[in-house]
Amino acid sequence: MKETIYIFSAGTLKREDNSLVFITEENQKKHIPVENLKEIFVFGEVNLNKRLIEFLSKKEIMISFFNHYGFYVGSFYPREHYNSGFMILKQAQYYIDNEKRIYIAKKIVEGAARNSLKILRYYKNRGRKLDNHISEIEKNVEKIFRIEEIPKLMQVEGKIKKIYYESFNEIINSSGFKFTKRGRRPPIDRINALISFSNSLIYSIVLREIYATHLDPRIGYLHSTNFRRFSLNLDIAEIFKPIIGDRTIFSVINKNIIGVKDFEKSLNRVFLNDRGKRKFIEILEKRLNETVKLRKIGRNVSYRTLIRMELYKLEKHLLEDEVYEPLIMEW
Amino acid sequence: MFVILYYDVGVKRVSKMLKVCRKYLTWVQNSVFEGEISYSNLERLKSEIGRIIKDEDSVVIYVFNQMLYSKREVLGKDKKEETKFL
Repeated sequence: MKETIYIFSAGTLKREDNSLVFITEENQKKHIPVENLKEIFVFGEVNLNKRLIEFLSKKEIMISFFNHYGFYVGSFYPREHYNSGFMILKQAQYYIDNEKRIYIAKKIVEGAARNSLKILRYYKNRGRKLDNHISEIEKNVEKIFRIEEIPKLMQVEGKIKKIYYESFNEIINSSGFKFTKRGRRPPIDRINALISFSNSLIYSIVLREIYATHLDPRIGYLHSTNFRRFSLNLDIAEIFKPIIGDRTIFSVINKNIIGVKDFEKSLNRVFLNDRGKRKFIEILEKRLNETVKLRKIGRNVSYRTLIRMELYKLEKHLLEDEVYEPLIMEW
Repeated sequence: MFVILYYDVGVKRVSKMLKVCRKYLTWVQNSVFEGEISYSNLERLKSEIGRIIKDEDSVVIYVFNQMLYSKREVLGKDKKEETKFL
């Protein structure tokens, strides 16, 4: 399994001896084994040049940047190496045809909702009062199947998300963390800060996995394709946010790994400081490499591989090979 | 899988070995490397090394399929650097 590295300190990243080296401000050289590298996440102030970009492109390494507040800035998405005109046509065809598009979009919303429900049921069995939340979400899930338009679907999705997020207060048992309402720009409380940070990471992890398939990240189905940016990764991320992101959030808070001290407040926004970000990533990374046994294929796969498999399923759907059904946690 | 690699090569080839090994593995001490590596990358590394070394040189690679029942102990200073978080 190729690795991901996270750069928090300031320094220079450069190509040297056909490998990578990171030179810190104290002039310490840290060598990075390039052949075992999949992606780089940059949080600190890093200098780099075109020579490095060229090299990363050749080695198919994606580099993503995050700003001071942990928000996603952008990625260097190396020249697509699995370029397939046929696949792009298929993707576009499924986007333009409303019936085809809404099928995929619905499945994504359904997958995300069912995975959220799985998590709520898990905590219900541990004695949290979540019956109301669960039945409300279930009611909304049934609505999904009757919808025929994307905007309506987005509304239902929003409603499910709202109920789901409100349940966080029941699940989290730490006095320093209280969820008021979802507010993204800026994050208004510590839980919002964690959700935003975790989502940013998941978006770029999914993007990196899309890079390894024939799919084009610019054409999404639930999130509309626009002039600016990638949207397919946002779609697929929906399914994995509860499974990977939210579970990590619950465990870092409930196990006291991240506390009030790991946050900073400036102006009217709350965000994780470097230490908090690092701790969160460590736990998230552990989860990504954790394996689960899939009944369908009878073997252990990591969460990261699950993301890749989800994309292959979508590819198969577009090629009219197998109808897409979202991953629903069965463990 | 996980490998431990060490080499004893002629002075002229030391720096070449260092550069090649750094591409794939993490440096631990002079002429000692370790790290996770895929099967195909290990084959690539071996072929790159094969092109550098001469008859009198020696390179030893320990390959572990899994790290169960293993323990890494360090006496004194651990020179291996953290590369995951920089």
